[in-house]
Amino acid sequence: MSLLDILAHQLLNGLVLGSFYALVALGYTMIFGVIKLLNFAHGDLYMVGGFIGFIVLSAISSVVGGGWFGIFIAMLLSMLAVGFLGVVIERIAYHPMLSAPRLSILITALAVSLVLQNTALALTNGQYTAFRSDLGFGGITLGGLFITYNQMVLVAAAAVLMIALEFFVTHTQYGRAMRAVAVDADMCELLGINVAAVIGVTFFIGSALAAAAGTMAGAYYGSLWYFMGFLIGLKAFTAAVIGGIGSIPGAMLGGLVLGLLEALGTQIPGIGSEWKDVFSFAVLILVLVFKPTGLLGRSEQERM
Amino acid sequence: MGILNKAAAAGAVFVLVAGSAMAQGTLKIGVQVPTTGSEATYGRDMANAVVIAQDEINKAGGVLGKKLTMVIGDSACDPQQAVNAASKLVSQGVAGVVGGYCSGATLPTLKIYGDAKVPFVITASNSTKLIPANPGNAFMINSTGDQQATKATEFLASKGVKTLAIVNEGDAYSQDLANLTRDDWTKAGHKVVAFETANKGEQDYSAIVTAIRAANPDAVFWTAYYADGALLIRQLRQSGYRGVIAVGDGSNSTKLFDIAGRAAEGVYAFSNPIAQFLPAAKAFIKTYKAKFGNAPGPYAPLTYDGMRLLAWAITKAGTTQPAAVIKALASAHNEEWLAGPITFTKHNTLARSNFIVLEDKNNAWIRADK
Repeated sequence: MSLLDILAHQLLNGLVLGSFYALVALGYTMIFGVIKLLNFAHGDLYMVGGFIGFIVLSAISSVVGGGWFGIFIAMLLSMLAVGFLGVVIERIAYHPMLSAPRLSILITALAVSLVLQNTALALTNGQYTAFRSDLGFGGITLGGLFITYNQMVLVAAAAVLMIALEFFVTHTQYGRAMRAVAVDADMCELLGINVAAVIGVTFFIGSALAAAAGTMAGAYYGSLWYFMGFLIGLKAFTAAVIGGIGSIPGAMLGGLVLGLLEALGTQIPGIGSEWKDVFSFAVLILVLVFKPTGLLGRSEQERM
Repeated sequence: MGILNKAAAAGAVFVLVAGSAMAQGTLKIGVQVPTTGSEATYGRDMANAVVIAQDEINKAGGVLGKKLTMVIGDSACDPQQAVNAASKLVSQGVAGVVGGYCSGATLPTLKIYGDAKVPFVITASNSTKLIPANPGNAFMINSTGDQQATKATEFLASKGVKTLAIVNEGDAYSQDLANLTRDDWTKAGHKVVAFETANKGEQDYSAIVTAIRAANPDAVFWTAYYADGALLIRQLRQSGYRGVIAVGDGSNSTKLFDIAGRAAEGVYAFSNPIAQFLPAAKAFIKTYKAKFGNAPGPYAPLTYDGMRLLAWAITKAGTTQPAAVIKALASAHNEEWLAGPITFTKHNTLARSNFIVLEDKNNAWIRADK
C-alpha cells in the first residue's frame, strides 16, 4: 500500500466511524439544546438499540432475510422502541428534576446509565452476543481503495437520517418549536408552546438516532456487548463539543471530524492505534481550552 | 474355653484380617482441584479424569500390588483454601498429588508439598511463576505460556510465513504472549512487520486493519481473547486481507465463529490438548461419557495423564519413597501419553510443548497439525 492508499483507506474508515459518532452526537446535542442536560445515558441507548435491533432481526430474519432489508426493518423497529424508552426515561427520571440544580439531573443521568448497563449485564451475563446477519464482504475497488457495499450503505443511511433530521428541524412546526425551546423555554411556555411535549419529541428523536447507530454498528461489526455504549457515548460527547454542543449541524460535522481525526491520527508514525482514545480526548481538551463553543457553536443564548 | 481365650481368639482373627488388608493395602493419591467456587466445573472435570485413571490402574492390578484410592483436597481456586487442602492431604499420608488448576492457588502449595517431600504432578496450572517457586518435587505437564509462542513460531514458519503482524490487547496475558512470540519469531530469523495493541471493548479496529494492510504481512497473530479477536478477523477479511490468521488459546472458543462468521474460515488457533482432537483419546472420551454423562472438559486428558504418570513413576521406583518417585518422574523420556509424549526439562516443565493447532473448517475446529 502506498501512502496515498493508506490515507484513502483511513479517510473511508474515518467516514464510517464518524457516521456512528455523528448519529449518537446528534442526540447528545439535541437534548443539551432543550434541557441543558449532558445525557450520559445516551451511549447506553445506543447499546439498547443494538440489542433490540438484534432481537427484532432474529425474529423476522426467517421472513425477510438477514440482509440489509431485514436490518433496515429491525433498525426502524428498534428506533421506535428506543425512542419510546427515551421518552419514558425523560418522564420518569429527568422531568421531575428539571427545576432542580443542574448537578442533580446530571447525576440522575449517570444513574440511568448504570441502570441500563447493569440491566443488559444481568440479561446477557456479561457475554458477547453475536449479531448474526447475512451481510457479505463484497465491494468495489477504486484504484488502491477497497470499499465494501456495507460501508456504502452505512454511510448513506447515516446521511439520509441526518438530512431527514435537518429537514425536520428547519421545516416543520415541531422543529421550529424545538429551536425556540432551545433559545428560551420559559418564553415558549408563555407563548403557548407545549414545552413538555417538545422535550418529549426531542428525546424520542435523539434516542431513535442512537438506536439506529446501535443496530447498524451491531450488524456491521457483528457483536453486541452490554458495555459497548460507554466509549461511544464519550466519543459522541467529544464530537458534540467539537462541533459546538447544542448545534445540530455542529454534531454532524463534529462526528465526522472526530472520526477522521482518529483514523488519520493513528497512522502518524510513532502513534500506534492504542493511542486512538488518547488522541480523541486530547482533542476534546484542546477544543474546550481554545474554542469552548466548538466549530459551529455560537454564543450562549443561541443554541441549536 | 474361657471368656479370655475367646477374646484372644477374636483378637487374633482381627489382627489377621487387619494384617491381610494391610498386605493388600491401598495407596492414597491426593487430588488437588477446585470442587467448589467459580472454577468448580473444571475441578470436577479433573477429578473425574482421575477416577477413570484410578479405575483402570486398579483393574490392571494396581501399583506395587496395592490399589489406588484418591483423596480430594478442594483448593477452591483460592490460595488460602489451597494451603489448607494441601496440608490436609499431606497429613493423610498421600504417596503423591495430582491436579492444580488455578496457578494462583497452586503457587503456595508448592512449599507445603516441597517440605513434606510429596511428589506433585501439576496438570493444568501453567503460569511461569510456578517454575522458580518449585522446590523440585513438582512436575508441570501443561505447557507454559512461552511454549505457546514456540509452537506458534514453529507452526507459522511451517506454513511458509515470513513476515508476521502481532496484535495484542494490552493486558498482561496477551501482551506477554505477544512479546514472547515476537522474540521467538525474530530469533528464528523472520520479521515482525507490525506490532499493534488494540483497545479492549472497542468495536472499530479499522486503524489496526489499515496498519496491517500497509505492512502487508504473510500472517497475523492475535494473542488476546475471542470476543475482540472475532471483530478483528471480520474487519481484516472485510478489508480484503487474504493472508494467514492465527489466534492464541484465549480465542479458541467456538464463540469466535458466532461473531466472526464466515470470516473465521481457515483461521488457526493454538490450544492445550483437548480430548476431542487427540487421536489416542477415543476410548477415554467413551469411558468418560459413559461414566459421567458428558464430554470430558479441557483439562481432563492432562489430568488423566498426570494420574497415570504418577502411578508409572511409583511402579518404576518400586517404592513410594518420595526421593525415588521424584527421580522416576524426572526420568520420564518420551513415553506416549494421551496428550502426547512427556519429557521434562531441568526445571520440571515439558521439554516439548503439547499445544495443538486447530483450524476453522465450516465453523468447526479441526486438528491442523499432524
